[in-house]
Amino acid sequence: MKNNLLLKRIGNMIDPTSVEEYCSTGGFAALRRAAGMEKEDILREIEAAALLGRGGAAYPMGRKWRHLYENPRYPKYIVCNADEGEPGTFKDKALLSQDPLSVIEGMLIAGYLFGSEAGFIYIRGEYRIIQQTFQRALDSAACSGYLGQDILGIKGFNYTITIVSGAGAYVCGENSALLNSIEGVTGRPRVKPPHLADVGLYKQPTLVNNVESFANVPIILSMGGDAFRAVGTEKGGGTKLVCLSGHINNRGVYEVPLGTPLEEILYAKDYGGGISTGRPLGFIHFGGQSGPIGFPEQMEGLAYSYEGMWERSLAIGSGAMVVKDDSVGLVEYLESVMEFFIHESCGKCTPCRLGTTRLYELIGQFLKGSAKQEDLPRLENMLTHITNLSACGLGQSVSVSVRSVIRHRRSEFEALTG
Amino acid sequence: MIERILTDDQKREIIYKNGGTTENILAILLELQSASPEGYVEPQTTALVARELGLTETRVYEIASYYAMLKVRPQARYVLEICNSSPCRFSKSDKVVHMLQRELGVGVGESTPDGLFALHYTPCVGTCDVGPVIKIGDVVYGSLDEEKIRNIIGHLRAGQTPVQEGGRS
Repeated sequence: MKNNLLLKRIGNMIDPTSVEEYCSTGGFAALRRAAGMEKEDILREIEAAALLGRGGAAYPMGRKWRHLYENPRYPKYIVCNADEGEPGTFKDKALLSQDPLSVIEGMLIAGYLFGSEAGFIYIRGEYRIIQQTFQRALDSAACSGYLGQDILGIKGFNYTITIVSGAGAYVCGENSALLNSIEGVTGRPRVKPPHLADVGLYKQPTLVNNVESFANVPIILSMGGDAFRAVGTEKGGGTKLVCLSGHINNRGVYEVPLGTPLEEILYAKDYGGGISTGRPLGFIHFGGQSGPIGFPEQMEGLAYSYEGMWERSLAIGSGAMVVKDDSVGLVEYLESVMEFFIHESCGKCTPCRLGTTRLYELIGQFLKGSAKQEDLPRLENMLTHITNLSACGLGQSVSVSVRSVIRHRRSEFEALTG
Repeated sequence: MIERILTDDQKREIIYKNGGTTENILAILLELQSASPEGYVEPQTTALVARELGLTETRVYEIASYYAMLKVRPQARYVLEICNSSPCRFSKSDKVVHMLQRELGVGVGESTPDGLFALHYTPCVGTCDVGPVIKIGDVVYGSLDEEKIRNIIGHLRAGQTPVQEGGRS
């Protein structure tokens, strides 16, 4: 379908872990190209590409790479975040299981650029079977000389990648919690700053990028940063993997150039194919549980790009799009979101540990019909507190979906007050 | 299904096959747990892992009790985990819950008296394209309906591995 960049090998390989097959479709050409370039030029291509981090935070990859590059301390570590845990997100799984060598190549290019000899990939425990596939890909790369000593015959280009398993903790998708988890410390977030590019894994300078971000690196170096940016929009280059789920006909992973009309993604035959229940669209939850909720009138004529979404108080996040028809009660839906955050709060900081439970209880009051009018401002105050006082991204984003509903469907709450 | 408790040597083999360092502790504990007849990280296992990795037992227990996939109490033989995150939850996973409760005669969070089945919720397992789903061990069963559920339970009762259906996840 279309001119896929990231998904071009998905479903088209007999053995996705075979280096030979990978190379026959252009694999490792970007690594070879990078190895012949000045390091400053590699960085410039990455910066020109305007790739915003695909894990969800949309942090500019070029800025992150420049920061690490300028840190003079060694050793440096390269870490791939494959702890894909945002509900409704299953795109990294597609890359890890069906094109693992593209992720490995992206990590290798980073290893070469930063002079790092050790890469880690932290794969969520729920993907244990995929961990085995990925290990086969690593073994196959090592056998062909793409991992190990003097890679590509370049003296001193040594690099290994180690798989580390998660075990069911959403918060480990937060980069500093992930690093703690690799170190064998309980996976709770660290206090930041310092930036992980300065004090990361084992207190050394560390790069942490998402699976999809790494898989984009060979593409950027093959086509050039400017051409990559031109595929997308001014603020965010390239394509984005989106995951359609919920009340939509064609659930699955799709690759769309950034800037594609949202309506096309939802309704075109070769994408979502429309609402599956025969009812009107109710809302879309973007980017997982930590993301905002969009309503039909808000999404009219919307382009699925970073800036297009931001302009309407929405966000791309991980690329998840959980589509719900108009039969789903919004307050009931938010109660389920809070239940998720109670389960996943790590308990380290009080605003998040207690705040998630208090929010769940208060939302429950609305559903039980025992909420008073003054409870809605109280809810809004609690959202402000938990957002401003929580230490990490988990607690800070608990409020996002609730705020979307209060902003655009305040009446849903008001109708439930006595 | 392994019926007997592993010897310390067999456990050590699992520890070192997985790398044998603190970096591998989650993979080690997950594999030891799945080899345990009661599906959990037993106190003796905690002690052994601590000794082999040079950690305190408290540290290993802290890790085992922190991560949702690791269990520090005995589990039913087959733990059926129903995804209740929003992609599945408002798309028929409630029906799956009712069917399973009826079929097994227990509520969510409970085990059957014979210790064969337990019913639990799990957050998203990343198979939203084939929801509603349940996860049993490492395997996800998707696009569930009444017939598929009866099939899965029937196979498990007979001690067989159910056929995984429901597409590419």
